[in-house]
Amino acid sequence: MKKILYLFIVCCLLSTSCDKKLNLTNPNALTTAEYWKTKEQAYAACTSIYNALGVDGSYMRSFPGLTDSRGDDFTADSPWLDLVLTGQFIVPTTSDPVFWIWREFYLVVNRANQVIANVGKYDPAVLSSDEKNRILGQAYFLRGLAYYNLATTFKIVPVITEPISNPDDYFAATATEEVIWNQVYADLQKAATNLPISYDNVTGLDKGQKGRATKGAATGLLAKSYLYRKDYTKAGTELEKFLTGELKNIYSLMPDYRDNFKDKNENNAESLFEVQFTEGTGTDINWACDPSGSWKQVQAISVTYGMEGVAFSDYLPTRWIYNEYKKEKTVDGKSDPRLLVTIASYEPADNSTQAYGRAWFNPQTSIYPRKYTNDGVGNGKAFEGAAESGINYRVLRYSDILLMYAEVLNETGKTAQAYPYIQQVRTRANLPDLAVVKPAMTQAQMRDQLAHERALEFAIEGQRINDIIRWGWLYDATKLAELKTHDADFNTWTPGNEYLPVPQRELDLNKNLKPNPAN
Amino acid sequence: MKKEKHAFLPMLTRMPVPFLLLLLLLPGHLIFAQGSLKGYVKDKDGKPVAGATITVKGKRINAVSGEDGAFSINARTGETLLVSSVGFDAYELKLGSITNGLNIQLTTNVNILSDVVVVGYGTQKKKDLTGSISSININDTKKYSASDLSQLLQGRAPGVAVNSDGQPGAIPNVRIRGFSTFGGAEPFYVVDGVPGTTIRDFSPNDIETMTVLKDASAAAIYGAAAANGVIIITTKLGKKNTALKVNYNGYYGYDKVWQRQKVTDRVQYQTLNNESRVNAGKPLFPANDPANPGYVKINTDWQKEGLKTGNRQNHNIGLSGGGANNTYNLSLDYFDNKGTYVGNGPDYKRYIARINTTAEKGILKVGEFFNYTHSHENSLTFRDDILLGGIPPLIGTLVVAIPTMPVYDPANLNGFGGSSSEFNGANSLNGIGINSILRNYTDVDRTFANVYAELRLLNNNGHNVRFKTSLSYDKTTARDFIWQPAFYLGKFFSSDIARLNDNSRVYTKASIENTLNYDKTFAGKHAVEVLVGQSYRYGDALLRESRAEGFTTPYYPVISNGQTRSAKGSEFVNSLSSYFGRVNYSFNDRYLLSASLRRDGSSRFSPSNKFGYFPAASIGWKLSNESFWKVPASIVSSLKLRGSYGKLGNQEIADYQFQGIINSGVPYTFNGVNYLGGIQTQVASPNIQWETKAITNAGFDAVLLSGHFDLSAEYYMAKSTNLLVQFPIPASTGFENLAPVANLGAVNNSGVEISAGYHKTKGPFTFDVSANLSTVKNKVIALGGSNNPVYGAGSRTVINREIGEHYGFVYEGLFQTQAEITAHAKQFGATLAPGDVKYKDISGPNGKPDGVVDEAYDRVPLGSGIPAFNYGFSFTAAYKRFDASVFASGSGKFLINSRMYRDLHHSAGALNYSTDMLNRWTPTHTNTDIPRLNDDDVNNFKDSNRPGWLQNGTYLRINTVSLGYAFRENIIKGLNSARIYATVQNLYSFQHYQQYNPDFTSGVFNPGFDFGSYPKPRTIMVGVQVSF
Repeated sequence: MKKILYLFIVCCLLSTSCDKKLNLTNPNALTTAEYWKTKEQAYAACTSIYNALGVDGSYMRSFPGLTDSRGDDFTADSPWLDLVLTGQFIVPTTSDPVFWIWREFYLVVNRANQVIANVGKYDPAVLSSDEKNRILGQAYFLRGLAYYNLATTFKIVPVITEPISNPDDYFAATATEEVIWNQVYADLQKAATNLPISYDNVTGLDKGQKGRATKGAATGLLAKSYLYRKDYTKAGTELEKFLTGELKNIYSLMPDYRDNFKDKNENNAESLFEVQFTEGTGTDINWACDPSGSWKQVQAISVTYGMEGVAFSDYLPTRWIYNEYKKEKTVDGKSDPRLLVTIASYEPADNSTQAYGRAWFNPQTSIYPRKYTNDGVGNGKAFEGAAESGINYRVLRYSDILLMYAEVLNETGKTAQAYPYIQQVRTRANLPDLAVVKPAMTQAQMRDQLAHERALEFAIEGQRINDIIRWGWLYDATKLAELKTHDADFNTWTPGNEYLPVPQRELDLNKNLKPNPAN
Repeated sequence: MKKEKHAFLPMLTRMPVPFLLLLLLLPGHLIFAQGSLKGYVKDKDGKPVAGATITVKGKRINAVSGEDGAFSINARTGETLLVSSVGFDAYELKLGSITNGLNIQLTTNVNILSDVVVVGYGTQKKKDLTGSISSININDTKKYSASDLSQLLQGRAPGVAVNSDGQPGAIPNVRIRGFSTFGGAEPFYVVDGVPGTTIRDFSPNDIETMTVLKDASAAAIYGAAAANGVIIITTKLGKKNTALKVNYNGYYGYDKVWQRQKVTDRVQYQTLNNESRVNAGKPLFPANDPANPGYVKINTDWQKEGLKTGNRQNHNIGLSGGGANNTYNLSLDYFDNKGTYVGNGPDYKRYIARINTTAEKGILKVGEFFNYTHSHENSLTFRDDILLGGIPPLIGTLVVAIPTMPVYDPANLNGFGGSSSEFNGANSLNGIGINSILRNYTDVDRTFANVYAELRLLNNNGHNVRFKTSLSYDKTTARDFIWQPAFYLGKFFSSDIARLNDNSRVYTKASIENTLNYDKTFAGKHAVEVLVGQSYRYGDALLRESRAEGFTTPYYPVISNGQTRSAKGSEFVNSLSSYFGRVNYSFNDRYLLSASLRRDGSSRFSPSNKFGYFPAASIGWKLSNESFWKVPASIVSSLKLRGSYGKLGNQEIADYQFQGIINSGVPYTFNGVNYLGGIQTQVASPNIQWETKAITNAGFDAVLLSGHFDLSAEYYMAKSTNLLVQFPIPASTGFENLAPVANLGAVNNSGVEISAGYHKTKGPFTFDVSANLSTVKNKVIALGGSNNPVYGAGSRTVINREIGEHYGFVYEGLFQTQAEITAHAKQFGATLAPGDVKYKDISGPNGKPDGVVDEAYDRVPLGSGIPAFNYGFSFTAAYKRFDASVFASGSGKFLINSRMYRDLHHSAGALNYSTDMLNRWTPTHTNTDIPRLNDDDVNNFKDSNRPGWLQNGTYLRINTVSLGYAFRENIIKGLNSARIYATVQNLYSFQHYQQYNPDFTSGVFNPGFDFGSYPKPRTIMVGVQVSF
């Protein structure tokens, strides 16, 4: 019996030692508690915010598509019903791509919140205050950009500015438009203060890197935000920084309009901010889900926009925008050069008889998007089946600064002073002097002229629907009728549906969330 | 009396159980007499049989044998004695001259009650069980051919539901007693004493016993692992003192899919599609437009082209025997199942070698088993990442493929036909093409070994002490090879880049278990068994992925030949450290008591939540052993009441979830250079702990009619709390995992389980009928947080209702006139026309119908997706040398939402249609429930109870019908036994469901949604069993 007792004691000893083997460390990753210690980690955290701009629901595919298709310059032509219905302003609340847009911009918000909360606490001995400011500045900029996109797309959304740790924080309440836009302003103001004009001469791991948010990007987007909310004075103040202030002579128009939509000459003098896409890295396409080091950094806009026969051709430019380009000839009597950069069209008169490096292979009467497609790059890609492209997405260009400033001047009663800023953009397109062609326009005439100029300069760049919304055209019977003639999709528009609906999934899960007018 | 008995029998079967019980308890007609004749009842080995009932035929004179088998009864010469006892055949003896000291020898009958049942860490006699335990008739299950053992359980035990589909190598869903967790619900498997193994790599030929532990009292000894039930399997051992015995079992059979979906042919298809275009005011697609030069006249019958006759075979050689102190059993097994889809899969092939040996000397006994398995599985080549557009599984793809697409097209790369949305109107995937072009296989190698030693430390004076230590090691390596060459199956399904994934998974499991057993019977009445034990388990999963793209032809698909390559890897380690103990006590073979406790510590939880305690207790009362019990054994041979209560745990969740971690692989490029960012991308679940399941169980086991009829029935109520809910959180949180886990759920399950069997064991014609039935009622108590509903595919889970109920709009018929549309509520902003589906406007923001039918206010529960009951029925019979068996199983009272049905009944789009669609609404054909065709439809396809959208799932499947013939011994010299048989498997299924399997595998939150399960083929097999 004694032997048995001994044996039992040995067993017990054995098993207590087993209990010690229950504390296993995760061999795969650092825990959050171990993070936020080194300089490299602060930079890496900042890099990860940008990553969320390059996934399906953000600039990689769906956001440009669903924004463009609601404009009168673009219409969906796709078996994918969500795309068609979005263009017709009747997309269901359960639509996947709509949800992806929502999801992705909140990815940006969450990652930015983590950076703002944690990098802010860094010891200056580890991270110099200049570096800290730059990292925080980028986080503020990216969060501001995310809320700008959420507000223009969904009108009312929750505003979250702290990292989420407690399950109670999962269910954020819808904020008022006032609160959202104030958040956009505040973030972009902080960003503009903290960010450098360029990274060329900074000291730190980010030295010389292009593609990071700059003071110009933050200032430009802040101006665009004020303009959206019709705060012309504040918009003017920000825009003047580019013309007479600290950002003067930093930006200029590229001589060749096409340089803005190629995978060459990226991050150029005209570009205030662009989302970086690059071919040749990684093996897993960067649609969505938890990112990994094997991810590619490509966009799929090219393959959805690309023409019949080589790509999905999910969208087509409208005839209206095509005709709009044809309205005015260049000083040497040719077509507006922006036409064939924006639209792929068979135009023997303009020496355009090719697409994707070979003879035009679609009906000669058909027109297709060219901006942001690999056809536009002219890199000889004959087929877009790989759904991949390395063309950066330009979020904000200097020509927008010029046209926005012209708009501010016009709206603040300085119509005559608007001419030279518009003309800079027209001159690049080789168009005649507006002051000569259409002198002494009234404020209202100038508004229409600006709408025309913006349509041509920014067609298929995700701008048009936001312009239409902020100008109130949908609630102006004359303008609405015009829009319907531009694009039959507007026939099914009903008040409120100019926005995308708040995703049903979110409404179902979060009782603090309010539907928007598009729900 | 004889007559009376016959009248009594059919009545018994019709009576409700409680009434029957009451009747049996009535002692009225029984008279006790003082005995004059003395004798003994013994078994075949001469051991006394206690509790046998001795009756004088034709008289009401009874006696019961005592502990020593002795009895005395008042009987005379010429009278006949009837002797019966549980576990023995009834015995009749005509008395000659009265002799005291009469020895009556009973023969053991086949009644399973006398069987020893394998339980957790030991064995028990079935008659002493107090927990809910079903032992599976293993010989019967072996008549079903399946690649996975768990599939053999379907319909075999009450409360065990097995859902599976017809793809070779497919892994079934096994659920014991309903949906009691939102996560992994697979039972815990214990093979030859080794806990926590997977049973995929075992051959049914090697199985000796299979036991299902269902309640807490039976399963709590496995504590944290047991909440989903425990299945204990033992494998065959050799017999001592036996010369080498060679067994061969083999079969060969053909598989054929017998179900067909009725789809439209070319002309019908084009007519319907053109109508949908015209109704939408759109031009016809060129392929369908007779006026277009591209008008297609190809008419492909995809099911005919894509489904082929498969086959299956199994060969097993067993070598077994033993000496005085040792035994051995060696088995070699080969299983091969070629599937029924044209192309590279699905196929499954498996090789197994297994050795079991034991040896003993004095107080020491050692044993081991060693199992090696290699399997090769070609799955159907379905790949989300290259097959864009949310297409269904390949069986669904085949069914909805358009008839105007050719199977082969030599002009295309790889030679298969394709389609395009511009020309055909649909991106229809050529399932035969994709399944032929892609190669997708998994090779698994598994080595599983166990060594144990048992010391009989004490064996005198009735004290019996044994110590056992058991070590096991289980290593599985799997290689997943997925090759996609450049291909073209229409623009939408094409790639000019070849891709290869060559991944490996290595799973290591090790365990050490020490147990100490003590048993003794005190004073002949108090039987005590004590078990204490300790266990440590360790598991490691090492996952590696390598991927390469850009191969040049001719292809040599190895990773190094790709132009861009990447690799990923991760490792997950977990451990479980436990103590456990159990006491079984029985008094006078009448009162049974069992209590157990287990403490588990798991690495999966934070330090403050690591340990969990799982107690259980049960009692049993052998009513029929009481002295007041006077019912003769010929009516009720044995009756036992039992009840139990206890707690079980579940920790089947991923490792490390309690810690927030940094994803250090978040890339972005600056200046075209890739940088890796790092941030928390997944929300953590810091407070997670065990799921707990408390089960109350009450039932009885009865053996009736001298052991020929057995009946068990029980009721259980299981309350699962602290369920790890993957509860969806808003995407506005900005995390990638929008459904983190938390212990927030609670679910109740309750049900009744009944099993009954009748065994005729005498004469040239013998048979055995058994049936089981179980019901399950499910109710969700909590879902976490503010109990927000969980939405699945066409389903919703809310508290106080069943999990995953069908959910959607209420069908109100079709609109017949424009006036009707104008008068009705708006529906999702759709432009409606007569012939569209009308949905009910149920509510609105103010709680009243608001004139708009929308997702937010007008969806309601539409019925259950979980069968209310499952049942199984088995009949085996033998006449002389012939044997036959039939096995059937089914489920009832649930509704199925079929993706395939809906895909075939679309109003918009251009994939193929069901022939039912020919009956669609048109202005001249309005008396129908099939809506009009409209290429712009955004209305008709919504989740609803529109006819056909939810189908009655009730079914009865004839799983096996088998006929065998056994040759006489030594028909060929040296041949001990030989049997041949023929079996038809999945002969037929009586079902309302129009698609394939009503018992498809599904997700937890949409149990009634059939995503597209692969049809179960009908198999015709012939087999041979020989032994020499």
